[in-house]
Amino acid sequence: MGTTTVRALDGVSLTVEEGEFVGLLGTSGSGKSTLLNLIAGLDRASGGSLRIFDHDLATMSSMELSMHRRRNVGIIFQSFNLVSSMTALENVTLAMMFAGVPRGERETRASSLLESMGLSGRQHHRPRELSGGEQQRVAIARALSNQPRLLLADEPTGNLDSRTSREIMAVLKDLNEREGKTIIMVTHDPGLARQYAHRTVTMLDGAVVDPSEVPA
Amino acid sequence: MTFRDTLDLAVRNLKQSKLRTALTTLGVSIGIASLAGMVSLGVGLQDQFVGRFTKSGMFDSINVMPGSVGPITFGPGGGRGPARRPFGRNAAAAAAQAQSQSPTGEVKEITDETLKELAALPQVREVYPSLRVPVEVKFGGDSEFNLAAGVPMSVKDQGAFQSIPHGRFFAGENEAACMLSLDLAKRMDEANPAGLVGKELTLNYASSTGADSGIPGTPSNVKRGESKCTIVGIVERETGPFAAAGGVSPLMIPMPRAREIFHASPQAALMLARDPARTSRPYPSAVVKVTSVQATQDVEDQIKKIGFSAFSLNDALEGAKRAFIILDIVLALIGSIALAVSSLGIMNTMVMSILERTREIGIMKAIGGSDGDIRRIFLIEASAIGFLGGAAGIVLGWSVGRVINLAANLYIQRQGGTPGNLFSIPWWLIGGAIAFSITVSLLAGLYPAARAAKLDPIRALRHD
Repeated sequence: MGTTTVRALDGVSLTVEEGEFVGLLGTSGSGKSTLLNLIAGLDRASGGSLRIFDHDLATMSSMELSMHRRRNVGIIFQSFNLVSSMTALENVTLAMMFAGVPRGERETRASSLLESMGLSGRQHHRPRELSGGEQQRVAIARALSNQPRLLLADEPTGNLDSRTSREIMAVLKDLNEREGKTIIMVTHDPGLARQYAHRTVTMLDGAVVDPSEVPA
Repeated sequence: MTFRDTLDLAVRNLKQSKLRTALTTLGVSIGIASLAGMVSLGVGLQDQFVGRFTKSGMFDSINVMPGSVGPITFGPGGGRGPARRPFGRNAAAAAAQAQSQSPTGEVKEITDETLKELAALPQVREVYPSLRVPVEVKFGGDSEFNLAAGVPMSVKDQGAFQSIPHGRFFAGENEAACMLSLDLAKRMDEANPAGLVGKELTLNYASSTGADSGIPGTPSNVKRGESKCTIVGIVERETGPFAAAGGVSPLMIPMPRAREIFHASPQAALMLARDPARTSRPYPSAVVKVTSVQATQDVEDQIKKIGFSAFSLNDALEGAKRAFIILDIVLALIGSIALAVSSLGIMNTMVMSILERTREIGIMKAIGGSDGDIRRIFLIEASAIGFLGGAAGIVLGWSVGRVINLAANLYIQRQGGTPGNLFSIPWWLIGGAIAFSITVSLLAGLYPAARAAKLDPIRALRHD
C-alpha cells in the first residue's frame, strides 16, 4: 500500500548521431541522470525502447547489459568512482580485466592511456594521492580502456574547480574531435554545455523541453 | 574474466582487511582443528586397536581341525584307522557305524602332506601344526610332567612374545633351547626365576626308538627319549585361548623339536602299525597364518571347502571395525559443531565486507563486471578463507594432538602401559579436511556472494 509510481522519464524522444557531442541540461530531478543511466545500461526502462548501435537495451538480459557496459560505453562520473584501494594503473586495468583482455596487453594499454592523459608519473598513485583533476583523468582513461564508441559523462566537472573543469572539458572535446567518440554529457551548467557540446538538450520533469520553458 | 584475475582480486580484497581475514581464518582453523582432531583421535584409536590385535596373532590366524568329524563315539571302529569289523557283529551294522562317524566317507586329516596343501593356498603366509607334546621336565633333582608347545620362529615379537621379560626368543629353529612361562619358572626357583636363564633342562619323553624306559610294566616298544635344552627366555603372559597362535604354554620348544617328539611317540608307531597306508601320525590341529587380516575370511572359506573345519576371530574384528566407524562419525559430528560456528563467522565477514565494499561493487558493475564476475570474486574469497583456515587447522590440530598424545603417553607409561599414537593424521585426512573446509566456506559464502551479485549498481554507486 502507498506505493506511488514516479515517472522519472515520460515521453522522452531523443536521437543522437554517431560522433555527436550532446549536452544534457536540466535541474536536479529533471530526469537527465536517469536517462544517462538507461543509456549506460545501469538501469532498465519500464516501457518504451532504447536502441544503441541497433540493439534494443529494453530487451537485454542483465548479462547482455553488462556486456553492453563493457564494450559499448565508457562512463565518467562526477565523483570519479575510482576504487580507492587500487592505483591509477590498476583502476584502468580493472575494466579490461572484466572484458577479458590478457594481462600484458592490459598493462601496456592502461599505461599508454594514462600517459595520453598526462599522468605518466602518477600511475602507481592511489586516488587519495591524486588531485580531483588527476582522478577524473584516470576515470577517463578507464572509460576509454575497452575502446567504446560512446562516452557517457555524468556531471564530469561537478567536483572540480573552474580551471580544472576547462582542462577536463578540453580532454573530452579532443576525444570527440580527434577520435570520433560520441559523447553524451549531463551537466547543470548551461554555459559549459554550450561552449563544448555540438547541441544541448534540456529536460524538465522527465521530459525534453524547449530551454525557454525552464524557469530561471 | 579469467580465474587467475578473479583469484588475484579476491586475494587483494582479503589483504585489504588483514585483521578481519585473519580472525575469520582463525575461526575456521579452530573448527577444522577440532574436526580433524576428533577424526584423527578416532583413526588413531582404531589403528592402535587393529595394530595391537593384529600383532596378537588373533586375527590373521585360522585354527584348522580335521574336517567332517561327526559326533565323537568311543569303542572299536573309533579312531582314525580303517574300520574294522568286530567279531560277532553284523557287517551292515558295522558299516552303518562307520558311516555315522564320517558322513562324507573320509575324514580330512592334518598331516605334513595336507599342511603343504594348505600352504599352497593363495594369501597364506605360513602353516604350522599346533603341537603340545607331553614331556617329563627334569631340573636339578626334581621332575614333573608337563606339556611342551612347539613354537614356530614366526611368532617372534608377536602375541605373548612381544616382550620377553627375561632372556630372549629362540635364535633359530634348530637351537637346543626352550622357554618357560613365568609360572613354571617360579615353581622351579621361587627366589630368582630370572636366574634360570642359561641353565639346562632335561626333557624325557615316550618314544618308540631309543633306550628302554626302564619303567616296570610298560610295554617293551615304549622307550625313553631324552633331549637337553638351555633355558633362553622366560615369558610372562599366560596362555590365552589361542595358545598356538602365540600364546604361552608352561614350556616352549622350537617347532621342529616338538614335531620330532610327536612323530617318535609310541602312539605314532602304533597308528602306523595298524594302518600300512599311513605315513605319519596326524596332527590334532593346525594354524594357518594369512598375509593380511582382510584375507582371513577368504582363506577360511577355502579351507572349509577343502574339507577341514576352520574358525577365526575375523568376525569379531569386523564387528569392532563397524563400532569404530560409528565412533568416527560421532567424533566427527562433535568436531563439526565448531566448524558450523566458524562458517557463520565466514558469512558474517562476507556480509560485512559487502557492506563495506558496496560502492566498489557498484563501480565494478558500471565498468562491465557482470553479476557472475562479482559472485565469483566473493565465492573465491570465501574459499580462500576456507583453504587457509583448513591448512592452519590441520597444523593446529596436529600440534594440539601431539601435546595431548605426549601427556597421555606419559600417563600410560606411568601406569605401565605401552605408549602409542592416539592421534593419527593420514594423508586422506589432510586432503579431506582442506577440501571440506573449502566446501563449507563456499557454502557459507553462497548467500553473501549472491547478495553482492544482485546489488543494484546505481544504488551501490550512491552508497558511501
